[in-house]
Amino acid sequence: MSLSQLLALAFVQHAFYAVTCVALAAGPVGYFVVLRRQAFAAHAIGHVGFAGAAGAVLIGLSPVTGLLVFCLGAGLLIGVGGAELNDRDAVVGVTLTAALGLGVLFISLYTGYADATYSILFGQILGVTWDDVYLVAALSAGVLLVLSLCYRPLLYASVDARSAEARGLPLRRLSLLFMALLAVTTVVAIQIVGVLLVFSLLVAPAAAAERLSSRPWSAIGWATVIAVASAWLGLFLAVWWGGPVSFWITALASSAYLSARLSERVRARVRRAAA
Amino acid sequence: MTAVAMYDGAVALGGRTIWEHATFSVARGSITAVLGPNGAGKSTLLNTVLGLVPLASGELEVLGSSSHRGSRRVGYMAQSRLADQQSTMTPRDYVGLGYDGPRYGWGRDRAKRSGVQRALALAGAASYADRPMRNLSGGQRQRVALAHAVVFEPELLLLDEPLAGLDLAAQAEIVDLINLIRDSTGATIVVVAHDLNPLAPIVDHVLWIARRRVRSGTIDEVVNEAVLTELYGHPIEIVVTPRGRRVIVGLEEEFAHPHPHGHDHTHEDAHQHLAEVYPESPS
Repeated sequence: MSLSQLLALAFVQHAFYAVTCVALAAGPVGYFVVLRRQAFAAHAIGHVGFAGAAGAVLIGLSPVTGLLVFCLGAGLLIGVGGAELNDRDAVVGVTLTAALGLGVLFISLYTGYADATYSILFGQILGVTWDDVYLVAALSAGVLLVLSLCYRPLLYASVDARSAEARGLPLRRLSLLFMALLAVTTVVAIQIVGVLLVFSLLVAPAAAAERLSSRPWSAIGWATVIAVASAWLGLFLAVWWGGPVSFWITALASSAYLSARLSERVRARVRRAAA
Repeated sequence: MTAVAMYDGAVALGGRTIWEHATFSVARGSITAVLGPNGAGKSTLLNTVLGLVPLASGELEVLGSSSHRGSRRVGYMAQSRLADQQSTMTPRDYVGLGYDGPRYGWGRDRAKRSGVQRALALAGAASYADRPMRNLSGGQRQRVALAHAVVFEPELLLLDEPLAGLDLAAQAEIVDLINLIRDSTGATIVVVAHDLNPLAPIVDHVLWIARRRVRSGTIDEVVNEAVLTELYGHPIEIVVTPRGRRVIVGLEEEFAHPHPHGHDHTHEDAHQHLAEVYPESPS
């Protein structure tokens, strides 16, 4: 089968639209995850989602319902309990462990075909339907809309919480709002790359972007471009060469981060040599 | 004309009284230094003026009305944090957040660009406005933080430890800048500091907080042996050097060994410490 025939296949097109929507939301949200040093929270929310999906499958609901409920719950819990930086790691860690325990219980109780569990852990991008694409597109658009409306206050609260508070911004409510956005984005990203590799779209592109630019807008732009490029190229390589899509996306996003760090070093050396 | 007036104010945090019976006023256009041991409630005083911490009792008037959160007429510079030292953000973007950071929505403010530039120029930070903050010196970062605080040319400017962590030359520069801001904008300025000497040339008024009480007056009215001895409850001596600097003897516990976590050092700790050294001191 030729490349053009491959790319014309319905399931490949579904996958293409889905990864694009996910990457467009994950880039900007990831920028704030990195800026607010909440990578661990992003990681935990994904794993909590796993328990939710397993539980939903167990009682006969769609995994996405369980993902949404559990991820939002975990996001709000971490937002409320971990408002103080000192408590945050502990709150996130306990939430993570408790949820993983539940996930193990749900899987052991589930006697059916374990394929659903596997796809939650590692993604199932080539199995998405038009309905999945619509859901992913709607959720991503919603996240981007809310994020763009709260962009400045959220940035202010993330960069200088004390001054933002003095100017009247509600820090706790902003933190909760962001955790909710992060939870929804995680749910969407899990559809594509799975729980275990959620970082590849949420954190790696933004971490690379932070090395490439010091201006918030351009860093968000870089994060989005890297996320979208990793997703497209990963999908293409998986279809053309084989191998899991989530592996390719993860490999590409991580390479982008490594390259960004290397280029930062090279630029610093060039600047020193010029000076 | 007063910018801040407090009558018989008291503040309690977590059931603990920080200070009480505080009565003072801050004249418009003046520079006031807030001094006292770590944990005495100096930053808390700024928080009450900002409307972030309510008074447990008493009255507070800020710029002619009761204090409320988020007023543009009040500028605030938080104590510098480690985050600034690692920030890749540029001063221009950071000062810009002071301008429209609290606003939700998509709109752009056409006046922002010139407002930010004016604040950077006033603080003398325009020449490095586009370099990442982490590449700047401590003194440069403090100038940026001051530009951030004055972006709306506030009538009242509250500065929390603007000299902390700076070497003497940088301290002198920031003191000159604070004076310049007062002269050119007419702002009333309240500065929290742990050492009066670098600020003494520009300070009109002193608030000294210790042992839950607040004393106010000119430098000579407050920073003298009789008042400080009464305030601390044990003998305090003041030696004035030939160049006019004051060495205050008897506060060594607070000043010679500043607690690494300033705000964790509670009033009770300090008080208990004094009571051990001076068993006769009244509680």
